[in-house]
Amino acid sequence: MNGVLGQSDGKAHAANADKGATANGSHPTKSARATSSKDVLFDALLQAADLDLDKLRAASWTRVPDRVRGPVWQLLLGYLPTKRERRDATLRRKRQEYFDCLPMYYNNADAERSEEDQKMLRQILLDIPRTNPGMPLFHCDEVRRSLERMLYIWAIRHPASGYVQGMNDLVTPFYVVFLADHLSDGEIKTINAYDASIVDSDILRAVEADSYWCLTKLLDGIQDHYTMLQPGLQRMFYRLQGIIQRIDQPLHDHLQNEHVDFNQFAFRWMNCLLVRELELNSIVRLWDTYLAEEREGFDSFHVYVCAALLVTWSNELQRMSFQDLLMFLQNLPTSDWDVVRIEELLGQAFILKTLFNESPSHLV
Amino acid sequence: MLKQEDEYDYLFKVVLIGDSGVGKSNLLSRFTRNEFSLDSKSTIGVEFATKSIKTDGKTIKAQIWDTAGQERYRAITSAYYRGAVGALLVYDISKHLTFDNVERWLKELRDHADSNIVIMLVGNKSDLRHLRAVSTEEAMAYAESNGIAFIETSALDSSGVDTAFQRILTEIYQKMSRKSMVGGGADADASITQGEPIAPVNFENEAKSSGGCC
Repeated sequence: MNGVLGQSDGKAHAANADKGATANGSHPTKSARATSSKDVLFDALLQAADLDLDKLRAASWTRVPDRVRGPVWQLLLGYLPTKRERRDATLRRKRQEYFDCLPMYYNNADAERSEEDQKMLRQILLDIPRTNPGMPLFHCDEVRRSLERMLYIWAIRHPASGYVQGMNDLVTPFYVVFLADHLSDGEIKTINAYDASIVDSDILRAVEADSYWCLTKLLDGIQDHYTMLQPGLQRMFYRLQGIIQRIDQPLHDHLQNEHVDFNQFAFRWMNCLLVRELELNSIVRLWDTYLAEEREGFDSFHVYVCAALLVTWSNELQRMSFQDLLMFLQNLPTSDWDVVRIEELLGQAFILKTLFNESPSHLV
Repeated sequence: MLKQEDEYDYLFKVVLIGDSGVGKSNLLSRFTRNEFSLDSKSTIGVEFATKSIKTDGKTIKAQIWDTAGQERYRAITSAYYRGAVGALLVYDISKHLTFDNVERWLKELRDHADSNIVIMLVGNKSDLRHLRAVSTEEAMAYAESNGIAFIETSALDSSGVDTAFQRILTEIYQKMSRKSMVGGGADADASITQGEPIAPVNFENEAKSSGGCC
């Protein structure tokens, strides 16, 4: 399997934190594995003095290779600059900027916090142990404290929405992808708590800072999903319903006849961007495409994905009554979906997007 | 097509409310599936489950809506209070703050739910004896002064859970029977196909005339 994680030798993990050099995609051990044409393409893109973002998006849509996923996600989000020579300096500066936030926002006593901030921190502390509990990595104290700091600082700095339950789920793909980038070939499946506890603390700090900034970039693009009354989510339910009505009228009518509202089952799908519905590995693959879709990925493209997801069980759903519908849709049988299945879903979503983009009046 | 387990005399909509982390979802999973999980995920928005019980020779089906506890979600979750005939207001006996907030939750119910809604105060996590921060007496006195029922439960060791649901459903049933508001079995069957709770029509009318709602 993958070399590094399989070893019990801690030294293999204790790589230098300044392996922030990952940013220029030039690590010899990883490059040695570049064999497929996709790998060659990504290496060429990352090595270019000024990276072509459009080409990177096009290449990423159909999957980012594990071994370059960290820097590619950071580039797609605009966290890393396209100019190769500026990447390391940018990483150093942004990480330092995050570390400088800690004493200002986080390392202070409860007495210094407003009542609202204390309430927010309490909520975050309640949600951290409930974050992806199926993955041992997130039982690790170091990792939990990282999540706590990231979410709290983000919330303090974004008072328009503050912390909203479910944001804890959204940070996990970043954390895992960036940690994997420092540990191995990016095999997130094999990461466990053991890794986090033996990793050089500088690496964990870097992973935390990078995850913080990338979460910030992600949430900046979908702000109104989390502001008061979550208007962005309401818009997505409405669009989802419109799409279903056009592509699967019988299902749409059945849901309506059974008095099932879209927000009754799709709320979590939208609020947590399917992180609750799919394995993290699958989410990471899904997000390759979302990030490649630029701004629309986590918004309108996500709605197409949800539409494709819903019609997957159209026949079964049409035989169910109200309560069975809700129970089914709140507990989708997707936990064993692999990346291949996710790619089918993405393909279906792409067809929908093309269909509706060509005739926007479909979406009244 | 109706399955055997879909047959019931009455269908009652009940909401589970209370602060985040008090164990609402585990109470629901303990009651409906006899399951408990120490690391269950937080509820996002609203989740739904159902279970039938017998009382007075009648089958009562409870349609239970489990809500997210974070204050931010209240605008969304309070929409689910409409049509609810019962509310389990849950706090954590080991965290006094969650009990202090009961007052606010009652206000939520007064503002958004039917004025005749049957409310039960539930002190959950009674297994945490060594961490108890809210005494049974204090909670009981509070419940009495507000005219609501009270029980302590532990979703972890199951104690009180079935009793809590059984009691609130029975109380709803009795309240409706007393006022002869309960529709006949035929009405109940009619509502199944619509997949909606029985609308206790008179119940709602009365609420309107008393001006207790909104």
